[in-house]
Amino acid sequence: MNARRYGAAGTWLLAGLSGVSIGALVLLLGFLASAGLAPFWPAPIDELQMQDGRILLGEIVAAHAAGMSEAVAIRTSERERVGSAYQRVRVRDIAARSQPADAIVITLIDGRRLYGRHDAQDETALLAAAASPADALEVLQPNALGVLARCGVFFNRLAHFLATPPVASNLTGGVLPALLGTLTLVLLMSLIVMPFGTATAIYLHRRRGFAARCVRIAINQLAGVPSIVYGVIGLGLFVHGLGGGIDRLFYADRLPVPTFGGGGLLWAALTLALLTLPVVVVSVEEGLARIPGSLREGSLALGATPDEALWTLLLPAARPALLTGLILAVARAAGAVAPLMLVGVVKLAPALPVDGVFPYLHPSREFMHLGFTIYDAALASADAIRGVPRAYACAGLLVGVVIVLNLTAILLRNRLRDRYRALET
Amino acid sequence: MPGNPATYTSVLSADFIRACARARRRRERLVGAVVGVCTAIVLFGLLAIPLFLLLGLHPGTPLPAETWQRFEVLLAGTLRAGLCGVLVALPLGIATAMFSAHFCAPRLRAWIKPALEILEAVPTVVLGLIAAVTVAPWFKVHVASVLALIVIIPLVLLAAGMAFGEQVRNEGWLPLWLLPLLIALIALVLGVGARQPAAAMIVAASPWNAALVGLALGVATIPIVFSLSEDALFLVPRSHTDAAFALGATRWQALTTVLLPAAGSGLVAAGLLGFSRCLGETMIVLMASGNTPIGGFDPLHGLRSISAELALGMPEAAPQGDVWRGLLLAALLLLLLTLCVSALADVVRERLRRRLRTAAHAA
Repeated sequence: MNARRYGAAGTWLLAGLSGVSIGALVLLLGFLASAGLAPFWPAPIDELQMQDGRILLGEIVAAHAAGMSEAVAIRTSERERVGSAYQRVRVRDIAARSQPADAIVITLIDGRRLYGRHDAQDETALLAAAASPADALEVLQPNALGVLARCGVFFNRLAHFLATPPVASNLTGGVLPALLGTLTLVLLMSLIVMPFGTATAIYLHRRRGFAARCVRIAINQLAGVPSIVYGVIGLGLFVHGLGGGIDRLFYADRLPVPTFGGGGLLWAALTLALLTLPVVVVSVEEGLARIPGSLREGSLALGATPDEALWTLLLPAARPALLTGLILAVARAAGAVAPLMLVGVVKLAPALPVDGVFPYLHPSREFMHLGFTIYDAALASADAIRGVPRAYACAGLLVGVVIVLNLTAILLRNRLRDRYRALET
Repeated sequence: MPGNPATYTSVLSADFIRACARARRRRERLVGAVVGVCTAIVLFGLLAIPLFLLLGLHPGTPLPAETWQRFEVLLAGTLRAGLCGVLVALPLGIATAMFSAHFCAPRLRAWIKPALEILEAVPTVVLGLIAAVTVAPWFKVHVASVLALIVIIPLVLLAAGMAFGEQVRNEGWLPLWLLPLLIALIALVLGVGARQPAAAMIVAASPWNAALVGLALGVATIPIVFSLSEDALFLVPRSHTDAAFALGATRWQALTTVLLPAAGSGLVAAGLLGFSRCLGETMIVLMASGNTPIGGFDPLHGLRSISAELALGMPEAAPQGDVWRGLLLAALLLLLLTLCVSALADVVRERLRRRLRTAAHAA
C-alpha cells in the first residue's frame, strides 16, 4: 500500500501549499483593511512622567523593542510646524505612565496637533495662545470617549479625509485632489479606449483575413508588455512628440514654457488607454462571440444588413460584455502607477484638472493620483510617522475602489453567462 | 419602414426601394470604414511602441562604455528579482491550481477562483508599500526563520500526509483543515528562530533585498500562474481522467500519470508568463528593492532593475541626450526580454493544444 501512502503525502503537500496561498490572501486583505482604517480611529493620549521630572503629554506613535534600549516615540504639542515635536524616550527613563481622562487633543486646520489637559488652566491658556479658536478643526477628549463616540469621530475623520485637500505640503489632511485626479484620469481614459476598443473588437469579430490576424497578434503580444514601457512611449511619443508639436504650432509665443509639451492629464489618459486596450478588445470580442449565431442569422434572414444586425441586435446583446470590459479596464488603470510617473503625475498639483473656469476640463495640467500618493507618502514623506499611516489610508481606499469594480465585473460576467444560456435554449 | 401602410403602398415603387437600398449600402460602407479606420489607428498605436524605441536609438554616436556596464548590472538585477518572484509564485500558484482543478470540493473552488482574481486586482503599488514599509524591517531580522520555513513546511506536510493521509477519505476541504497546522508551524519556527543565536548569523545585507522583492512579486504573480495553470488542467478532457479512475487509479495517480503529462506544457507556459510578468513589474521593485545597483546573484542583497531605472531616470533625462538614449535602449531590452519569454510561452502552449487535439482525434 506504499503507492497509496505516497499519493496521500503528495495530496497533502498540494493542499498545504494551497492553504499557504489562501492564508496569504486572507492575511493580506485583512492587514490592508485594518491598516487602512486604523489612521481614522482616535488614538489615546498618554502622559509620561520622566525620571528627570519632565512630563510629556502626547500620542505614542512608535515603539522600538531593540534589546536593552527599548524606546518609544511620542508626539507632543506641535507648536511650530507639522512634524516638529517628536521625542524619543527610553522606556527605563519613564517613571510613570498614565492615560488621563481629561487630556484633550486639538487638530488645527494647518494639520498641527496640540495636546493639553482640560482642567489645568495654564495648559488651556497655552493652547489658546498657540492657536486661535477659529483654526481648530477638531477638539477631542479621546481617553474619555465611549465606543460609540469613537465611531462618530472615525466616520467624521473618514469624511474629512475624502472631502478636503491636503495641508502641510501633502503631509496630512485629505486626499480630494488625488481622488479627483484619479477619477478624471480614468474617465478620460474610458472615453478614449471604449470606442477604439469596441471598433477593434467588431473588426476582429467580422474579419478572418491576414490583417485581422496581424491585429490579433499585436493585441495578444502587447497585453504582456510591462506597464513602464507604455510610460516610456507616453513620454517620448505623446508628451515630447505630439505635445511638443502642438506647442510649436499653437503656443509658440509661450515657449520654452511648455503647455502641452509637459506631462499632463491628456497624455496620461492616452497612455493608459493604450495600456488597457487589450483588456477591452478581448472582453468585447468574447461577448460578441458568445451571442448565438442563430440570432444574427435570423436578423440577416429578415433582411437586415450586417451593419443593422450589429447596431440593433449584437451590440445591445453584448452590452454586459462592454460593461465588463470597461470595468476591468478602469480597475487596471486605477492601479497603474508606474507609467503615470513618466507622463505627468505630481506630488502636489497647484490646480485641479477640473474646475469652474472655462473650459472646465484642463487636459494639459499636471495632476495628483491616489496610487502615486501612496508611493510618495510611504517613501518620500518629510514626516515618516505621518506618511506611513497616510499611505495605508490611501492604499485602503484604492484597493476598496478596485475590489468593488472587480466584483461588479465578476457579477456581470456571471449574469451574462446566464443570459446566453437562456438565449440558447 | 415606419408610417401609415396606406401611404406606404402609394409610394412603394421600384425607384424608392432602390434608393433605400442604396442608402443602406452607403451606411454599411461608412460603418465598415469607421471600424476599419479605428482598428488601423489601434494597430498603429500598438506598433508604435517597438518602432518608437528603435527609431529613438537610430541616429547619433554609439553609447559610452559605462552605459553598457550599467546595463549588465541592471539586467542582472531584473533577472534576480524575476527569478526570486517566480520561485515563490510557481510552487504556490501551480499547487493551488492542481488542487483546485483535481481535488477541491466544488464549493471551496467557487470561492478560491474569485478570491485569487481579487488578489490579481490589488494594485502593485499597494503590495510594494506593504513590502517596503511593514515587511522589510521584520524580514531583515527573521531571514533565517523564513528560509527554514521554506524547507520545513513541505517536509512536515509530506510527513503528515504519510502518517495520517490514508485516514482522510475526503480531501476536498483539506487546505482549510491544514490552516491551523500551518499557522502553528509558522509560529513555532518564528518563535524558535527568534531565540536561536545561530539564526542571527544569517542577516540580510539590507532590509530591501531581492528575497523581499521576490516575496512581494510572488504574491502579485500567484493569481496569473494559478488561472493559467488551472485553464491548462481543465483543457484535458474529462474522459482521460475518468478512464484512469475506471482502471483503478487513485486521484493522485490520475493526476501524475494522466493529467500532468497532458497538461505539463500548459503549466510550463503559465510559469513562463508569470516570469515575464515579474520581469516587467515596476512598483514593487521600485519600492522594495532599495534601488542599489549591485550585480551578482545573492538574494539577500539589494538590486536595481531596468523598470526601476526607467521610472527613476526617464523624467529627468533630457530628450535625445546620451542618458535618454541609454534609457530607451534599456526599455527596448526590457520589451524584448518580456516578449521573448511570453512568445516562448505561446509556443509551448500551442504544443499543448496540438497534442490534446490529436489525442481527441485518436479517442
